[in-house]
Amino acid sequence: MTLALDAATPRRRRMASVTYWDVLKWVIALSVTVVILFPIWWMINVVFAEPGTPVSINPRLLPTSLEAGWSKILMILRETEYLRAYYISVAYALLTIIGVLAVGSMAAFEFALFDFPGKRPLFGLVMLSLMVPTAVTIVPTYLLVADMGWLNTMQGLVVPGMASAFGLFLLVQFMKGIPHEMIEAARLDGAGHFQIYWHVVMPLAKNALVTLAILTFMRTWGNFMWPLIVAPNAQMYTVGQVVGLFNAPYSHHTVDVVMTANLLAAVPPLIFFLIFQRKIVEGIAMSGTKG
Amino acid sequence: MARLDITNLAKSFGPMSVLSDVNLHIDSGEFVVFVGPSGCGKSTLLRIISGLETMTSGQLRIDGAIMNDVDPAQRGTAMVFQSYALYPHMTAAENMGFSLKMARQTKPTIREKVAKAASILRLDALLERRPSQLSGGQKQRVAIGRAIVRQPKVFLFDEPLSNLDAELRVRMRAELIDLHRRLGATMIYVTHDQVEAMTLADKMVVMNGGIVQQFGRPLDLYDDPDNRFVAGFIGSPKMNFLKARVGDVRPERVTLSDIAGTSTALELPFRGFDPAVSSVEIGIRPEHVRLAPTDEAGPNDISADVAFVEELGDVTYIHADMPGGERLIVRSDGMRYSGGKTCRARLDPGRFLLFDPSGHRIRSAHAH
Ligand SMILES: Nc1ncnc2c1ncn2[C@@H]1O[C@H](COP(=O)(O)OP(=O)(O)O)[C@@H](O)[C@H]1O
Ligand SMILES: [Mg+2]
Repeated sequence: MTLALDAATPRRRRMASVTYWDVLKWVIALSVTVVILFPIWWMINVVFAEPGTPVSINPRLLPTSLEAGWSKILMILRETEYLRAYYISVAYALLTIIGVLAVGSMAAFEFALFDFPGKRPLFGLVMLSLMVPTAVTIVPTYLLVADMGWLNTMQGLVVPGMASAFGLFLLVQFMKGIPHEMIEAARLDGAGHFQIYWHVVMPLAKNALVTLAILTFMRTWGNFMWPLIVAPNAQMYTVGQVVGLFNAPYSHHTVDVVMTANLLAAVPPLIFFLIFQRKIVEGIAMSGTKG
Repeated sequence: MARLDITNLAKSFGPMSVLSDVNLHIDSGEFVVFVGPSGCGKSTLLRIISGLETMTSGQLRIDGAIMNDVDPAQRGTAMVFQSYALYPHMTAAENMGFSLKMARQTKPTIREKVAKAASILRLDALLERRPSQLSGGQKQRVAIGRAIVRQPKVFLFDEPLSNLDAELRVRMRAELIDLHRRLGATMIYVTHDQVEAMTLADKMVVMNGGIVQQFGRPLDLYDDPDNRFVAGFIGSPKMNFLKARVGDVRPERVTLSDIAGTSTALELPFRGFDPAVSSVEIGIRPEHVRLAPTDEAGPNDISADVAFVEELGDVTYIHADMPGGERLIVRSDGMRYSGGKTCRARLDPGRFLLFDPSGHRIRSAHAH
């Protein structure tokens, strides 16, 4: 008898604490989810509907015509430069990621694990650049790129973004955690400088590298201003710019076509988010900032 | 197997001198232990031998070849770190084989050498595990395996057992002794634990303040220390040190008076005592002090106030305070403590070691 009572009491108490606080939390979480998901759902609704049925007058909660949606998507992919923009955007993002990881990890390797003359002031200088807003540097960077004849080229898009002070900071913080004895053990094992970097430090920094890759993807995919400035040629349009054309005030496209273009732009990051959801959350927690 | 010679080695970090005047000659196949209090420079000396640290001046030779400027990987030394320093992203086998991979050996060769080392260390079943899946003792064995695989001339160990619990430490010591016997390699082992040093060493290097205090076989250091530091560092419980005044000096004997603030005077055999020395410190180990039976007072007895008593069953240690302020530890094997506030200790003058006020040993001119 006493046994059953003992067992029941804590459970009842736990239930009571669930009721207020947890329900509130769930309500808030669900509301936020609805607010965030609604526009995307709205977009899908508009896209997958017969053209010319205005949604604002006739609101509905489910897509009405899959067929119409598909034909709009196919139309955009076939009749506009959307596919090339995809290609440019993906190349821009991937090359930037590779560059940021390569440059950042090599620099962080030296800054975090070795001593060299002028290390502290140099690192300070790089960190100082974190405090300078992009708006300040964008014009000089543009002039530099223009000087090199890199306007409207992939290297013009990618190279200035490869040196990431934030990435260096993130990787240095992480690599400082690698025990020095591990590096020494590798030295005694006959690993050269580059081999220590490649065989020991890079694998150990994997989590930080993945985080940086994700944050870099988010930054480049969403970067509208830099491509707009440095690659104004239609041949070099990124997805962002193409969508910008659809969205422009004098665009002759109807709302549903504009929405389709927007949806297509949102799909890659959506897929990306779904795949890397956990890593992204970890990464944002780890970096202490929002990408 | 290799001979190792260090001559006039000194090391300073900036203005701070960490090692000075180190001269050591280690024979092939010896198990040498560097022992001393924390911060005395043991690790630094070991790291200089490995090549991870450079010396400020001096010379290091292995098998006669000067090693001062040789790359750490090319010296024929292998090091086992206190933290193990295993690569967490590699399996035990990959950890052990890493140096061979760096040396561009073929995969079958690597596999074979790793398997051989693993069987020596009974690691065969653990080769595919990551360090995180290994216990402390197993990690330690993998770290040793990583050294063995390289077939070094000299093994260097920096406090490799200090992260293990007491029981495992004792077992690993036995394994290390066994390993040394089987490989016959020269091994240099750093520890701050003098018991560990005594257990493992063929020869011991006692260090303090960056200076080698004494180098020799453990029991020689125990019985015949060169100075007060070595005398006090080796042995547990510690040697007793009692101040005394030098009285009558004769060719074959010397009389010491006012021992430890008492009025006791003792005469001991000593040839050629320097009459210029007016006061000394007597060093005597607890096992050479006995409790005098209460009913028969002897001429060499000194009385002391009991501070506390350690009763371990087989032995009893009585810690007593002397009038001069010194602590006297008496080891009693047979007799148990009777509960008195004072005790009478009987010193054996034949076992006295004498130290001058600067801590140097004063030796009798003939072997005792
Ligand atoms: N890289 C270094 N830079 C400055 N001082 C150091 C360095 N390494 C060791 N020391 C100093 O040298 C002394 C000896 O250190 P160490 O050899 O590690 O002592 P032990 O291993 O005997 O405890 C210590 O005082 C320590 O602070
Ligand atoms: Mg040390």
